[in-house]
Amino acid sequence: MIKWASCGILIQEMSRLFYDHLINLSKIEKLIKKHVKDSEARYEIYRLIDEIIHHRVIGCILDRLPKHHHKDFLNHVHKKPHDTGVLDYLKERLAEDVEEFIRQEIYLLGNELLELFVKPHEYDNAHKHNLH
Amino acid sequence: MSALNKKVIVDPEELRAKIKLKSIQTKTGFESKHTEASKYLKEIGLDLGKMREHSAKLLTAGAIVGSVALFSAPNSLAFLPPPNEIIEKYVNSVESPPALSRAIKLRNALKDILPGLLRPLNRDEEKTLEKVLQELTGVPVRAALEGEHLNTTYGKIGIEQHLRRYPGDTLSNHIPKGDEYGADKSDEIIKEGMAPGLGAWGYFAPSKEALTPNLIEIERWYAVVQTLYLPNWNSRQPYLKDWYKYRKVMIVNTKNGKAVIAAIADSGPAVWTGKHFGGSPEVMNYLGGPKYKKGPVIVFFVDDPENKIPLGPVEYNEV
Repeated sequence: MIKWASCGILIQEMSRLFYDHLINLSKIEKLIKKHVKDSEARYEIYRLIDEIIHHRVIGCILDRLPKHHHKDFLNHVHKKPHDTGVLDYLKERLAEDVEEFIRQEIYLLGNELLELFVKPHEYDNAHKHNLH
Repeated sequence: MSALNKKVIVDPEELRAKIKLKSIQTKTGFESKHTEASKYLKEIGLDLGKMREHSAKLLTAGAIVGSVALFSAPNSLAFLPPPNEIIEKYVNSVESPPALSRAIKLRNALKDILPGLLRPLNRDEEKTLEKVLQELTGVPVRAALEGEHLNTTYGKIGIEQHLRRYPGDTLSNHIPKGDEYGADKSDEIIKEGMAPGLGAWGYFAPSKEALTPNLIEIERWYAVVQTLYLPNWNSRQPYLKDWYKYRKVMIVNTKNGKAVIAAIADSGPAVWTGKHFGGSPEVMNYLGGPKYKKGPVIVFFVDDPENKIPLGPVEYNEV
């Protein structure tokens, strides 16, 4: 069901996406803050990670969604990328728990990002570390 | 030993290059795995890497048009009674004794006005909150001030570390003394440590000698907001950077109604942390106590052109 903002408008919107509430890579941010002292360089890295997340999230959804729904899904994302109703759309078409597999994908990504901080010979069970 | 404590690559340029490479690999991997979807994305003009900007543009355009379907979740839009009715209900009502304290009135009002889920507030909600907050706390607050608006006024705040105020500043210099806030619980105030890097506006002063009492107060009561994600942040420099520097905001813990006036002194957190704001150790200690690390808050600008409103706790509940 679509509700209309009949009386109130947003004057300048925040750039939220329908899956933002499922993402928590706080410890990666902490590492970046620890090792990248220049604020502008930090913000560029934040943006790069954001781009990676977008591709990984949409990719893991497309992996599971039947092909005949792909265009419809992408149209939803194109029209209302902020709208958590996109998750409801997916829940109606997927047997798997959509929120859970997005969280899992981000957990895997978190471990991959963690590897970028650790020198190869020092990397042992970093991937087992809780990133949240 | 925790992986987070291992020796790590400390060259920021090398780290940036590695993450850039990963970003490119992720994009090309997506395109080769989902060729048809990638082709369709090009047709409709959606660049996944710029989805956040796309979202911001759509919503801003919707706001300009004046009425737009924003969210489809059933509870995502609150249809509030007119602000006057809310003020009458929560601020001016005469209760039978014992009268409700202003803190309880504020908590009750927030419960009714704020949506169940964290999301950007619409203009009506913000207007109503401005009136309620001003009536109950006495602080003139605005969601939008001089045409500027944060990317959200309702979200999660996370605890930050102390910021270096001048070259050579150390954590021990941040231990509160005398009648300063937290002097009776200094361990709580310094346990978060010192941020390794500088805030978005660099040092507060060029030297220890140049550090004024006002700057000490600003670092003590500092806030972090996501200026880096404002849609026009890059195109409106240096105006925006100057405008936001040390700009006063009121932060209200929506769970307990505690409020503090803070000054913006850093940009963040990253959008992928689940947080929208940050608060200094002192801000967080006042808002929620020594164990408070994260929680929902509202953040409004303080309309204080003559700089008369002091930073720190808003003791609006005192009789």
